[in-house]
Amino acid sequence: MNQIIELPGRAERAATDASVLLDCRNLSRTFIVGGSLFSKAKELRAVDRVNVSVRRGEVLAIVGESGSGKTTLGRMMLGILPPTSGEMLLDGKPVSGIDRKTLARRIQPIFQDPYSSLNPRKTVAQIIGLPLAVHGIEAGAARDRRVEEIMERVGLSRRLIHSYPNQLSGGQRQRVAIARALVVQPEIVVCDEPTSALDVSVQAQILNLLVDLRNEFNLTYIFISHDLGVVEYIADQLAVMYMGQVVEAGPRHEVLEQRRHPYTQALLGSVLTPDPSLGLPDLQIGRGFPDIMHPPSGCHFHPRCPSAMPVCSAVEPPAFRDSAGLVHCHLFSGEGSSATRPIAQ
Amino acid sequence: MTITQVRDTSVQPNGGSGHGAPLLDVRGLTVDIAVPAGTLHAVSDVSFAVNPGETFCIVGESGCGKTITSLAVMRLLPKTARIAAQRILFEGRDLLGLSDKEILGLRGNRLGMIFQDPMTSLNPVFTIGNQLEEVYLRHRNSGRREARERAEFLLEKVGIQSPAMRLGQYPHQLSGGLRQRMMIAMTLMCEPALLIADEPTTALDVTVQAQILQLLKNLQREFRTALILITHDLGIVARMADRVAIMYAGRVVETGTSAEIFAAPQHPYTRGLLACIPVPGSQGKRLGSIPGIVPSLIGENEGCMFRNRCPYAGESCRHGEIALRELSPGRGYRCILEPGHAISEATREPATTASQATVQ
Repeated sequence: MNQIIELPGRAERAATDASVLLDCRNLSRTFIVGGSLFSKAKELRAVDRVNVSVRRGEVLAIVGESGSGKTTLGRMMLGILPPTSGEMLLDGKPVSGIDRKTLARRIQPIFQDPYSSLNPRKTVAQIIGLPLAVHGIEAGAARDRRVEEIMERVGLSRRLIHSYPNQLSGGQRQRVAIARALVVQPEIVVCDEPTSALDVSVQAQILNLLVDLRNEFNLTYIFISHDLGVVEYIADQLAVMYMGQVVEAGPRHEVLEQRRHPYTQALLGSVLTPDPSLGLPDLQIGRGFPDIMHPPSGCHFHPRCPSAMPVCSAVEPPAFRDSAGLVHCHLFSGEGSSATRPIAQ
Repeated sequence: MTITQVRDTSVQPNGGSGHGAPLLDVRGLTVDIAVPAGTLHAVSDVSFAVNPGETFCIVGESGCGKTITSLAVMRLLPKTARIAAQRILFEGRDLLGLSDKEILGLRGNRLGMIFQDPMTSLNPVFTIGNQLEEVYLRHRNSGRREARERAEFLLEKVGIQSPAMRLGQYPHQLSGGLRQRMMIAMTLMCEPALLIADEPTTALDVTVQAQILQLLKNLQREFRTALILITHDLGIVARMADRVAIMYAGRVVETGTSAEIFAAPQHPYTRGLLACIPVPGSQGKRLGSIPGIVPSLIGENEGCMFRNRCPYAGESCRHGEIALRELSPGRGYRCILEPGHAISEATREPATTASQATVQ
């Protein structure tokens, strides 16, 4: 995947195209695992040369199974985790040049588990007010008013203002987390599996709320999820990750309709819609469990891929770009050199 | 676990298709748990029947009592739980009347259970082989060699390559999907007549989930095992179930065949749940949602448990116990709304959901 051919003048294009808000270029993150007296330390490539970008006001969904690197990517976007290599541009400027606090004001997180992401010893008002205190926004009565306003906006009743997280339901806690993220008026919100710990009826409430808030505040979402039903509902752009790499990306309807990468096909095929006339999907993928410590050679998906060819285990598939998006698969690289050349969107 | 038996009044086991006795017949199951704040009415008056070889799904959100119901059937509830029931008949024997020793003879033998989390339900200090063979050695008069052969045979059945090598491994050496396959193999060691699977794929990735469900279905067909599948995922229910019970706040609020439930849901809760699911084509539209939260089950409750979240709730929903209306044997719902009224409303909301799903 390192063979992405840079489009001439891509940097300029991004800079002039004011709508690209966050641009990740060849972003990688490697962890060092183990390493003791008796064993050698190993490298784990959690995120491997990922190129994704999101335009202002759009929802970019990052989909993948556990261990695909989607959470690590989200953490790098938040600035919690520095990338090992590659760079990230926010509004055309390198993120590395932006200080931690300014970045935090512009990019805020909503985490998966509302049970562990809220401080149990603080009241709702303290939790939501903390970002305001950190950033020195307003004070005294004005700050309290701002907390109350955002609470009302996310559907939290005012009587909960002095409650502690353990007195709230899962949905209410997630609303507190959303209020905390939005109170500093960020441009980007990174939502890491924001509804997967919730029941379906509550999940629907939270999804509706996220859609409403996005329209109201012109927010840009990075939406990390393994649930394709949810992703299909909320996303504009889709990036499918497998073992640290983006294997397919593009506009939601193109990716969902064309399903060019065999992994995308398997992932979409395993979505169980509530339709009793359909049976269980017969997935044409191998059961081989991907070991992230020892990724397969060539295309990482080849041991499970129903369309694997000899070249797949030997050569890493190059990027193929066209108007429908990006796909890393040898099925799309065999049409001569023209196929591997990126085509401007 | 205290067991009270309310003596049987009706002998007619419903829910079945009429032919033959059901494998499991649960009538009027109530489970109360003593908690510091009072009594938690976890399960109230739950009745259902499971026929040999069929898949019966118990669906509901967290806290609705679906797991407690299955644990009551397995007699695995803690001592603080009080169980009362008219009967829990399994293969003609009343499970509530059995001694601890007798129930031990059934568990793992005629009754199998698969738990949600394959990471914690296998013993980390024994090899997979040890754990599989133990079940067989316990219930069958056999030697180790026979048990090992049976284990290898089943590992192959659940799709594990080089079973002999795997039997020597410890749980931590296996992935989540493999461990769940091991759990399934373990429960099948003695060919149980009834398998209870409590959220068997919730901890797994979606592609693995589809494979495990497929495996369960194939094995069920091959071994003619009845399956009680407990899940919160209506997608799984639609693809797996023969018959369904929807639970809310400790009660069964709707029962029917999978086709009936999805085509013409009657209870407002069932309809609300179906409208909540994002399905292909729902982008840009608002998801249906059920306002409010599940009521506390601690203390005495009267009337319909869903009334605080129900768009149709009225004065008559506040009092008394709402009876289960039977439309036909095995098809019913616990609501005062007339079936006609409910259907006309249903075609407006969740039926669109169902038709969108078929478009896909």
